[in-house]
Amino acid sequence: METSTIPISNFQLAFSIILILIAGGISSFLKLGLLKPLIWGTVRTFVQLTLVGYALTYIFKINNFLLITVIVTLMCYIASRTSVKRAPNVHDYPSVLSFVSLWASTFLVGSIVTVLIISPEPWYSARIVIPIFGMILGNTMNGISLSLDRLYGETRSRSAEIETLLTFGATPWEAVRFNVREAIRAGMTPTINSLMVVGLVSLPGMMTGQILGGADPREAVRYQIVVMLMIAAAVAIGCLMLVGLSYKRLFNSDGALQPFVLKSRK
Amino acid sequence: MLFAFKNITYSFGFAQIRQMTVSATLNSGQVLIIRGPSGAGKSTLLRVLARLQPCADGEVFLQGRNWSQIPGTVWRSKVHYLAQKPVLFDGTVADNLVRPFEIRVNSKKKFDPHLAKKKMQELLLADDLWEQDARTLSGGEAARLALIRALLTDPEIIMLDEPTAALDERSRDAFYAVLSRWLAGRDKAAILISHNNEYGHLSCISFLDLAASRGGE
Repeated sequence: METSTIPISNFQLAFSIILILIAGGISSFLKLGLLKPLIWGTVRTFVQLTLVGYALTYIFKINNFLLITVIVTLMCYIASRTSVKRAPNVHDYPSVLSFVSLWASTFLVGSIVTVLIISPEPWYSARIVIPIFGMILGNTMNGISLSLDRLYGETRSRSAEIETLLTFGATPWEAVRFNVREAIRAGMTPTINSLMVVGLVSLPGMMTGQILGGADPREAVRYQIVVMLMIAAAVAIGCLMLVGLSYKRLFNSDGALQPFVLKSRK
Repeated sequence: MLFAFKNITYSFGFAQIRQMTVSATLNSGQVLIIRGPSGAGKSTLLRVLARLQPCADGEVFLQGRNWSQIPGTVWRSKVHYLAQKPVLFDGTVADNLVRPFEIRVNSKKKFDPHLAKKKMQELLLADDLWEQDARTLSGGEAARLALIRALLTDPEIIMLDEPTAALDERSRDAFYAVLSRWLAGRDKAAILISHNNEYGHLSCISFLDLAASRGGE
């Protein structure tokens, strides 16, 4: 089973524009108003990915531990800002909290995977670390964003019950415990669902990539199993940390609810 | 003197924010009735006293202790505020009555189902409501259940925001009877916001008129 990647030439790549023309045609035919974002998105995809391709080639070549750490931390920073922005119920949230949760869960799980499971030589090999950490980050980012949004949304809609518990002397934790559980559940559910249907409904992107790249599907599957489990672990840790760091922000120092929780959403 | 608040200065209102400074004292068995037109800051005052929201200035004393010496959770379990709109938790009527006793600060208090059922009878709630889903209660039933839940935890000061608003005349009389029995001969006091001038069997009533003391600032 000796296969290898079939390279895509520049000409063939340009041919993929046809695909975007189809999407654009549908958009303008139905007047969806999506033509401009579609074109802009296409340009960005080409530019961003081309630059990343060159950058990764360079990074893989010098393979410096410090540089890799800086890059992964930078990825965490961007992901933490995006995760807060994607939570419509949440305003004025310090992205440092989501950064800490993302950074800790990604480095913990990522290190376990690279050092103990894949163990490349050297263990911080950029070719392994960057894609693995990137996959963890992307999924954890979505998870914590859902968790955070659910925490704020649930607290707001159940503020009367929470406050009633406070009037009986409940601590902030006792008053929101139920919502905290719901929030973590909301963050983890998509990951758990994907564990259930993986391979049946769709082949995960990483596995597809490896197979297209000429890998033995049986090898690709082994990698994919590791990836799925590491994502589940990282999402669980990330959501738990973030919600744990965040729920107290809903209360003032005296343990009463903050005014913004009691008002309707603006 | 069981309970006193001195120069409590707080702001309230939404469109137009006003500030107010009030003081009052309560002895054991006493009922303080807060009166005033709507928008006079009556509910806000009770929320401040229950430490559900901060105030700009002032001190409150419970049994001679300054409120700054008592943690918020302990304070709120002793100075209990019952909102006007009754809030019930998911679950049965019984679940609702037990729930406050599951909070750590109340772990020394014991839930007594017989006392709870007795209070329900006194407030004209049928026995067979016990296992009913609390969310299916009528407005008046929900208000009485919330009152019973508050009384069962036996706070030192009970602050009731228009407790009789959703009650008919018969249950209103029953409520005043229950409250005066709860107060009688014990180191307890109550603060009520009330719009009507019927106070049934309540004795030892004093009044605080908020419209009159407006303009602290």
